[in-house]
Amino acid sequence: MPRASVVGAGMTEFGPHDKTLSELFAEAALPAMADAGVERGDVDALFVGNTLGGTTENDTHLGPKLASHVGLAGVPTQRFEDACATSSNAFKHAVRAVESGPHDVVLVGGVERCTPETGLDTPEMTKAFVSAADRQYEQPAGITFPGVFGLLTKRHMHEYGTTEEQLARVAVKNHANGTLNPRAHFGKETDVESVLDSPLVADPFRLMDCCPFSDGASAVVVASEAFADSFDAPVDVTGIGHATDIVPIADKERLTATHSAREAASQAYEEAEIGADDVDFCELHDCFTGAEVLATEALGFFADGEGGPAAEAGRTELDGEIPINPSGGLKAKGHPIGATGTAQIVELTEQIRGEVGSRQVPEATTGLAHNLGGDTATTLVTVMEART
Amino acid sequence: MSESDPAVDRFLEGSDAGLTHTAWKRALREDVLLGEACADCGHRSGAPRAACVRCGSRELEPIALPTSGEVITETTIAVPPEGFDGPHTVAIVELDAARIMAGVEESVDIGDSVELVGVLERDDEPGPLFG
Ligand SMILES: [Zn+2]
Repeated sequence: MPRASVVGAGMTEFGPHDKTLSELFAEAALPAMADAGVERGDVDALFVGNTLGGTTENDTHLGPKLASHVGLAGVPTQRFEDACATSSNAFKHAVRAVESGPHDVVLVGGVERCTPETGLDTPEMTKAFVSAADRQYEQPAGITFPGVFGLLTKRHMHEYGTTEEQLARVAVKNHANGTLNPRAHFGKETDVESVLDSPLVADPFRLMDCCPFSDGASAVVVASEAFADSFDAPVDVTGIGHATDIVPIADKERLTATHSAREAASQAYEEAEIGADDVDFCELHDCFTGAEVLATEALGFFADGEGGPAAEAGRTELDGEIPINPSGGLKAKGHPIGATGTAQIVELTEQIRGEVGSRQVPEATTGLAHNLGGDTATTLVTVMEART
Repeated sequence: MSESDPAVDRFLEGSDAGLTHTAWKRALREDVLLGEACADCGHRSGAPRAACVRCGSRELEPIALPTSGEVITETTIAVPPEGFDGPHTVAIVELDAARIMAGVEESVDIGDSVELVGVLERDDEPGPLFG
């Protein structure tokens, strides 16, 4: 049963953008509204995600600012912050708001500026990112986000024998997919050797195992079940799961499990009345290559410990049994933190509509998005299906 | 609650206050690692909370953790955050069933034994350093 439908989608290219947050957001929001055919007066509310603007740009209270910029001054707005899972949480609340009645049509999106070209340099940005780790019991150790996922992935390698070559295969695949996505930050192929030869960031991750800092924005228009039929190309949202896990990571029950992803996936599958086998393609949170391996296991595509071998065997490639990150993922498409979640929803919408050209997954009728925040402390999983 | 431990009590602000971050910091700066043991599920943590992170119980007993233990996982960070010099190693260390995140002086492997050797200080927040 549809909970809501996405009736319009838009996003910027991901990469350096010398524009204000409002200007950048408009480049996603106005195309999303045009795609849906809605104007001021049709949109009941704006939900928006931005993670670091307060820290990096001294820019907060973004709801009314962004609404004013895109001609929606006056509507109720809500700004979300959940680290890298920021705008999928905004999307969840937009879906729940039209599902439960308060609104019929909601514009929801995310915007972020993270590139050294337009903002803070890498050490400052690394420090800003790490604000999502525990302030008292993790940050003083000198941890970074590549480090957090390095700790989880090294344990996975120890327990299951996952190799650096298997991790590199994830980067190679996502770069290949990214070459087919004109909005991707990186549009260049790579190979296993180049990944393994790139400079160390936090072992086992080398530079080419890590997603880039990107600028970008994404937005979708969400409509209630009652309103969806009046739009041209609705794609249904049939299930959403949202769970958190213990912070700090040292207190988690199992370091390799990404428990919040397992719990969110189980909720989303149950709500959509499907299982992992029914998913035709998936956009997941590959902030680091190891994160993709952990996620493919947590989402139930592969048994625990099989994520690495599955990547190596090509099972997650565009023509594999379960295409993972056809957009190029965070690795190649880019990662403007607060814009990443709704960018995954844009890719699900356009794949299911059959609009993405050479990276089109054949018979893409059921898509899943997995968006993770902080030290695997927040995960949202969204299931979208073609309208029947 | 079991018998109080004088080695722990000297850092606490009062018998009812539980383990605060201020007390945890003061102890760490004297090379004592404090934590909490849950009276209901037995979980041991090195990060003081108002309730057990595993079961939600408020029956948490302040405890002193051993200062030596085993590396559960580790990473060498070559691109450090502002304020740190790279490369440096960060690990999850298990101290008698309580696990904590800590800096480590040299590179280590999973399974290695390490002991508390000092304190990392940044922005008035101390972090344990093992070696
Ligand atoms: Zn407990």
